[in-house]
Amino acid sequence: MIPEDLRYHKKHTWVKVSGNKAKIGITNYAQDALGDIVYIEMPEVESEVEANTEMSEIESTKATDSVIAPVSGIVIKVNEELEDAPEIINEEPYGKGWIAEVKLSNESELDDLMDATDYAKYLEEEAIG
Amino acid sequence: MKIAILGAGPGGYVAALKAAQMGAEVVVIEESEVGGVCLNAGCIPTKTLIASSDLYSKLKEHDDYGIEISGDVKPNIRKMMERKRSVISTQVKGIRALFKSWGIRLIEGRGSFISGKEIKVTLKDTSQQVVNADKFIIATGSRPFSVPAFPFDGTHILSSTHALELEEIPKSMIIIGAGVIGCEFASMYRALGCEVSIVELLPRALATEDEEISSMIEKEFKKRKIKLYTKVKAEKVVVEDNMVKVTISGDKELSAQKLLVSVGRSFNSEGLGLETCGVDLAKRGNISVNKYMQTTNPDIYAIGDVTGGILLAHVASKEGIVAVENILGHTVEMNYKVVPAGVFTHPEIGSVGLREHEAKEQSIKYKTGYFQYRALGKSHAIGEITGMFKVIAEAEGKGKILGAHVIGHAAADLIHEAVIAMQGGLTVKELADTIHSHPTLSEGMMEACEDLLGSAIHSTPKK
Repeated sequence: MIPEDLRYHKKHTWVKVSGNKAKIGITNYAQDALGDIVYIEMPEVESEVEANTEMSEIESTKATDSVIAPVSGIVIKVNEELEDAPEIINEEPYGKGWIAEVKLSNESELDDLMDATDYAKYLEEEAIG
Repeated sequence: MKIAILGAGPGGYVAALKAAQMGAEVVVIEESEVGGVCLNAGCIPTKTLIASSDLYSKLKEHDDYGIEISGDVKPNIRKMMERKRSVISTQVKGIRALFKSWGIRLIEGRGSFISGKEIKVTLKDTSQQVVNADKFIIATGSRPFSVPAFPFDGTHILSSTHALELEEIPKSMIIIGAGVIGCEFASMYRALGCEVSIVELLPRALATEDEEISSMIEKEFKKRKIKLYTKVKAEKVVVEDNMVKVTISGDKELSAQKLLVSVGRSFNSEGLGLETCGVDLAKRGNISVNKYMQTTNPDIYAIGDVTGGILLAHVASKEGIVAVENILGHTVEMNYKVVPAGVFTHPEIGSVGLREHEAKEQSIKYKTGYFQYRALGKSHAIGEITGMFKVIAEAEGKGKILGAHVIGHAAADLIHEAVIAMQGGLTVKELADTIHSHPTLSEGMMEACEDLLGSAIHSTPKK
């Protein structure tokens, strides 16, 4: 359910690292909590995102929420498909629903993120808390 | 008492009706058409065209609403303009009929003072007549400000007036100025399929609104693919090969079929013979008035845009009423504390009173409350889930409402609940405690007030 090859931020975003680049998306838990996603405001290519701050804004039929960057970096690519079909995030949050790809500016930040097992535990605690 | 009124816009015509209702003999002098800019080239025609563009946008969602349409749905701007003309004409006739019913004499021509007691009017047939009166009200309004470096030509470089007369939907348009007029035209022409870019010198669109309202409209513009350049100056404008090319700061060049320049308005205070009657102008060319709407000549009053205050039709109307009451022996001061305003963008905006940044600047202790349209059942039912309510109230004392800001469907109407609350000095609690009909969008105002007090009923716990 929670992919093993990704790392997770407590604000329910994930990163998939390859070399010094990382793809970012929101988790299945986040998309489920939001409900039907109708719009996502993308960060600009070449803009800087900073870990633990808002990198984009997401709107569903019931809420608007911030997407919190799990890592810092420079945006090198955004998922343009989401512009006309943001519902892809609902369908495939870990795959085709990725939001942006960044060039990591501080790889040590990856150590602050959770692995799949820890994130699963974290979700259980969240559910109880 | 005989009152002569120069100008029959929303200031002048309302003043005329009020004066006639209070028993005065009234003459109105108007060089163009009753209703002024508001009715003939402003509020009403823009809203009429926006209604067409809104319907067109809605029709594109017909499938979602369970409506099948066979064949194409496409905008026909010529027919939209016809509808606009017919709406204007109905309203013009309405004002003329009201004038007639109250015995108000309308002289159609251009008036200019020749003394403190007389106005010379040049009629349309160039003949002249002199109008005498005991008191006068100047309500000559304003016109689009023409930037000397790129004056309006009506073909490529347009004023808002020109932009209301287009016979074809332009493929592309650049708008200089992201104020109310620029943003309304941007929304409308974008909805009709035109590629729109807006160039604004200030850091945000609709810079006089609450900052959160500005950022929300900017986001909505982004969704609709309206390009907005803020903190950018239009340096140079060239018309070449039937296209307008605008050079903006940083040497970037934008080009489009049409350029709309909406960077402010000029006061219609020239050629009125004000020097013959002791009416002084302020620095910006507007007529100076006191709180009774009296000019430097105590027998001559001035109201509306030409006085350079708040350039809104409803403010002009109220100033007209205040001027008339003062002329007819009552002592009334114009009060600008509670002035609502609507911006008919998509989504629409309604605002009144304090903006949050003003509260900060004035070191006012305040609280804010919010509610999202998308949390209302009615929003989903009508398919208008974008928007929010924001209420600002005293953090100390009784908790009176100091300001409210609504963005979303029908916001310019919805704001009036807060307007009345402010006018009556109601508290957030009083508004929150008021039973609101369900299902309505008005529930959002109640919930925003509840949010300010702690928790809106239809919200999740605050983290």
